[in-house]
Amino acid sequence: MDFLITLAEGFIGMFQEGGDTFMGLVTDIIPLLIALITAVNALIKFIGEERVFAFAQKCTKYFFLRYTIFPFLAVFFLTNPMCYTFGRFLPEHKKPAFYDSTVSFVHPVTGLFPHANPAELFVYTGIAAGITELGLSTGPLALRFLLVGIVVMLLRGVVTEFITARMIKNRDRQSENSVA
Amino acid sequence: MSNYKAAKVSKGSSGWGGPLVIQPDDSQKYIVSVTGGGIHPVAQEIADKTGGIAIDGFEKSVEKNEMACAVINCGGTARSGVYPKMGVLTVNVFSNSPSGPLAKFIKEDNFVSGVTVDHVEMADGSDEGVQQKRTGEAKDEQNESLLDKDVAKKTKEEAKQKVAAKEASEGKKKNPVNRVIEVLGDKVGFVVSTFFQAGRDTIDTVIKNILPFMAFVSVLMGIITYTGIGDLIANWVSPLAGSLVGMLILSLIASIPVISPLLAPGAVIAQVVGVLIGVEVGKGNIPAQMTLPALFAINPQVGTDFVPVGLTLGEAKPETIEVGVPAVLFSRLVTGPIAVVIAYFASFGLYS
Repeated sequence: MDFLITLAEGFIGMFQEGGDTFMGLVTDIIPLLIALITAVNALIKFIGEERVFAFAQKCTKYFFLRYTIFPFLAVFFLTNPMCYTFGRFLPEHKKPAFYDSTVSFVHPVTGLFPHANPAELFVYTGIAAGITELGLSTGPLALRFLLVGIVVMLLRGVVTEFITARMIKNRDRQSENSVA
Repeated sequence: MSNYKAAKVSKGSSGWGGPLVIQPDDSQKYIVSVTGGGIHPVAQEIADKTGGIAIDGFEKSVEKNEMACAVINCGGTARSGVYPKMGVLTVNVFSNSPSGPLAKFIKEDNFVSGVTVDHVEMADGSDEGVQQKRTGEAKDEQNESLLDKDVAKKTKEEAKQKVAAKEASEGKKKNPVNRVIEVLGDKVGFVVSTFFQAGRDTIDTVIKNILPFMAFVSVLMGIITYTGIGDLIANWVSPLAGSLVGMLILSLIASIPVISPLLAPGAVIAQVVGVLIGVEVGKGNIPAQMTLPALFAINPQVGTDFVPVGLTLGEAKPETIEVGVPAVLFSRLVTGPIAVVIAYFASFGLYS
């Protein structure tokens, strides 16, 4: 009988532990998220998508802006997963690079702007919880995550654009050969 | 046309939506299986019953207006929303109900989930065919009425604006103070209602996306910490995420083109690993400075499962998608580890 009681206590204890974790997450993280996401959502509505479209299109000409500002605007204003629709402003051979660049940013953005990808917050929030546990501020980590995220975005854009161009060339050559 | 037959797809025991009647025709003959790893049995079954053509959406890509339906295995929110939004009948082999940023496009007449092979049956000949047509017509009517409504709304708004403008101009003539109050009231109303809607969207997101994942994380953490599995995992995670070499190995493994699409869906694995690393950081087993490179080490696979869908959203042509999928996957093999190195050097001076 004692054994059964220990078993039952262990069983409940396990979920008590889970409940405590849940309570911690809700009280530590949710209030800030709600205030922050509401403010950014309102800002996006005030600015309006048309104005963003017009500005974003100007950024597509130069590779530096194309894989930094352009995907940043896509992720910030359209959020995951509608941000990929910005690909339509680009020529075909640059679309894979844009996708790679943009999708790489949907987690770095969440440190400071969680509204952009609320369903996948815990990549950042999980690790940042450890920083909070140590009694440190998560601000420096969030900022550096965002900045390195932009560098990685540029890197992936350039590398994937190069690889795509090579693959298209190979394919064209192959089809020419098969015709000849 | 006579080669194609209608099939009825109903929801599984824990599924949602439907039943859908799928009727391919000459212009929409493809049953697209966006499930990864070949054609899903459900897609094959639908193709066999209807006479449509089953096709692997990851290998060949199809224009959305050529799809009779899309078969997906999405437990998250992305694919489940994208296809209904594009107006493609969507059959999900996982059980989920509308959620995520595109929830409003997921309707009972374009989405069915929890489907297995047993839920695909022949629609009973002409009877169902008629019904299908009827629902089609009904849909058209709905669209039209919606359009009508929009038009009506617009004209109404225009009329309102005209009236407002008239009143304003009259007000100006009559009393500048009244006009100022009117304009001010209008602006304040706009700002307040915008914030209110933003708040509503936020709470919606918290309930539909954030709280459910927190519940999942909490139960997982409860089990892991209480049973002591946590210590076992820590022995694995700490050396991998605690040094540059360990993280390079981690990122290299996760960016292998065969493995990365398996790890990516919903970023669930990256999120769970993130939480585990966070716990170790909290205990002091992993230096705080290493959190920045760790964020990139656990995530070189991000979005690799979503390339065809993401490119379709960008209105890419099928030829582009065929090249784009391998291009992104191979690019990751190079950029995954490089990202970790960049983050490692960028972490100097962080929390020290």
